[in-house]
Amino acid sequence: MRRASLAALVLLTACAVPLDPPPPGEPDGAGPPRAGGVLRGASPEDPRTLDPARGYDTVSWAIEQMLFNTLVDYDAGTTIVPELAESWTMSDDGRLVTFTLRHDVRFSTRRAFTAADVKYSMERLLKPSIHSQGAEFFHGIEGAEDYVAGKATEVSGIRTPAPDRVEFRLTEVDPLFLHKLTMPFAAVVDRDTVERVGDDDFTRYPVGTGAFVLEEWTYGQRLKLARNPDYFRPGRPYLDGVEETIGVSAQLAWFKYQRGELDLAGIPPAEYERVRADARYQPLLLSRTTLRTQYLGLNCALWPFDHVAVRQAMNLAIDKQRLIDLIDGQGVIANTILPPDMPGAEPVPGYAHDPAAARRKLEEAGLAGGFETTLWTYRDPEVSLRLAQSIQRDLQAIGVALDLKPVDFPALIEAVRHEGTVPVFLLGWEADFPDPSNFLTVLLHSRSRDTNNNTFYANPVVDRLLDEGAPLLDLDRRFRLFHEAEVLIMQDAPWVPLFHPAGSAVRHPRVRDYELHPLRPSRLENTWLAW
Amino acid sequence: MAETTVVGLGSAARSRRFFLVGAIMVGALVLAAAAAPWLTPYDPDAIVVMAYRGPLGPGNGHLFGTDTVGRDVWARVLYGARTSLFVGTLAMAISLVIGMAIGLAAGYFGGLVDAVLMWVVDLFLTMPSLLLLIVLATVLPPSIFTIPLVIGLLGWTTFGRTVRGEVLTLRERDYVQAARALGATDARIIVRHLVPGVLPGVIVLAALGMSGAIIVDAGLSYLGLGVPLPTPSWGRMVSDAQTYVGVAPWLVVAPGVAIALAVVGLNLIGYGLIDLLAERRA
Repeated sequence: MRRASLAALVLLTACAVPLDPPPPGEPDGAGPPRAGGVLRGASPEDPRTLDPARGYDTVSWAIEQMLFNTLVDYDAGTTIVPELAESWTMSDDGRLVTFTLRHDVRFSTRRAFTAADVKYSMERLLKPSIHSQGAEFFHGIEGAEDYVAGKATEVSGIRTPAPDRVEFRLTEVDPLFLHKLTMPFAAVVDRDTVERVGDDDFTRYPVGTGAFVLEEWTYGQRLKLARNPDYFRPGRPYLDGVEETIGVSAQLAWFKYQRGELDLAGIPPAEYERVRADARYQPLLLSRTTLRTQYLGLNCALWPFDHVAVRQAMNLAIDKQRLIDLIDGQGVIANTILPPDMPGAEPVPGYAHDPAAARRKLEEAGLAGGFETTLWTYRDPEVSLRLAQSIQRDLQAIGVALDLKPVDFPALIEAVRHEGTVPVFLLGWEADFPDPSNFLTVLLHSRSRDTNNNTFYANPVVDRLLDEGAPLLDLDRRFRLFHEAEVLIMQDAPWVPLFHPAGSAVRHPRVRDYELHPLRPSRLENTWLAW
Repeated sequence: MAETTVVGLGSAARSRRFFLVGAIMVGALVLAAAAAPWLTPYDPDAIVVMAYRGPLGPGNGHLFGTDTVGRDVWARVLYGARTSLFVGTLAMAISLVIGMAIGLAAGYFGGLVDAVLMWVVDLFLTMPSLLLLIVLATVLPPSIFTIPLVIGLLGWTTFGRTVRGEVLTLRERDYVQAARALGATDARIIVRHLVPGVLPGVIVLAALGMSGAIIVDAGLSYLGLGVPLPTPSWGRMVSDAQTYVGVAPWLVVAPGVAIALAVVGLNLIGYGLIDLLAERRA
């Protein structure tokens, strides 16, 4: 009796629930794109806003990108292509950028789009009462500072010499200006609607020129987009609409996807390995590297990380391959700060996993006996805490006792900004634009110490290289200077780059031409449903 | 008969049987905790798989498989027994010391002392304890002592009230009156005459309190507030593995069964003792 029940228990614990199959259907097939159908998605939460001047998170951006357009955008990779602008020119000194606009663009109210709408949208973004987090990206436009300070009624650097022409005059050369214009902050909004409903209610009546229009947004329940019949790209979008069910957790979305109730879903970390190994899912699995780096930040202002040798020891001690294994291979080992897809990224002499060498470095720093310190991490048991415990183990092997301090994400972001608080932290960074400065200057320039340089790293030579590279339009020279800076930073080792994570998702077999983008949420303009 | 007692388990024979089963269950856990290094070759914190490819199933040299970091689950359950028993014992001991001191003082001295102390008890009872536990466990620096300390400091009220009630009747007994007439000091009366009198009831409460503390610890660990990682703790193991329940159910079942064993075992001991002690006293 006792033996039998024990056996039953062992049997029960040994049996995993088998992986359910994906929704049925032929995952690929020839034939022209089919128009029609509503794509079904899900999200755990409402977008914070649909006002492009105000959204700065992927949930908001994903929807905004479908409702609005920007002058320029990225192709499937990181190359800038025309969108509302047909073409553009840049003056020799790099300070005047002129766009020629498309003639066939209408707002979803059917009103024709002109250069004045561009100027209006940019000035609205810069208006202090909007409190846009994106405003600072555009302070380099001539006259923007005066406009923000209330000393001018318009931004003198944005001019509209003709209805199909808009000029931006910049206070200094800004090689990133076009990249900044791809951000949804710079999307063109419908002036009539803004003036009718007011700035604050525009999030509920987001009228633009995009491929879709907002049909319904019932807070906490669902968000429906319908095809914009007047969209300027002929025949697009293929979809009749998009319906997002709100309040669906990642786990629930996964179950709904398996039952064929959703067309797109993420894969829960617990299931990823089984899904990847399952031939039924293989054709439906989407994965791509993103411009992200996950890293350990070492606070250079705090003992013992004020010693270079200690920071180098940390770099040598960590087994990054095991971290990749823990995330089920969803990423590549990072030996550099810049992700491999970043333009200008080149191999940098890094650190191999070598605990013996790490011990020697500690001896060099006079810390042969090791030391005790604290790692602050996001308290997510599914990923962060598993990685943290692996790192803890690696450091124990070289005599470093690492206490873990798991905290909420906002608390983590806040704590790392204070110079004397966090000795070591586990964080990631995702590029806003595909340019090395978006990692190196933003995160490691000494000037950024009161914003995003949370390791408080400061090296005057690195600062000089970054400052020298920043205004260069000549990409070869620009990238060379940033590369030199990165080599020095890796020697000084304020970071332990861990890995560059990949994004992944699964599609319903009927979903075609859907791709993950390295920088932005996916757009559904070219996506179609086979049935 | 015993049927008429409020919380008894029925006949004395039945109580004895329950007590025995409980004692075996708890005894097994104590033994497992004490003998952990001999029952598994693995360090509970060590990553034992060569290359992580998801949690390994039971077998393959790992009785309960391996977890989501690549550690041996059987080793973590065994060493987790140390954590749970330590937390339960310490929390119970703290509650017991505070509760007895306050109960004895309130019951013996009566009057204003009693009123004030019972007011303190009421104050503690009005506080939403789980909320307070979460706040304290967040604010205090994480260590193996934090959680038992917090649970102990908040959990003494039952001890206090029960002891006070017992003392109220005991202090009127002839032998206490006699001791007082012979000139015994208050301290001597309390230690020599009252404490032994309240002890049987306190032992019952201690067993139940310990199981309660283990449950609360599991709950707090489940919320991510228990003993610091990587120290194994059953509640934490259940919580960390919850999304893996379909993929690797052993990660949840093993620590879950361990929690159930400890709690059921201690409760059987406690409820069994109620009748056994009543029977002895009668």
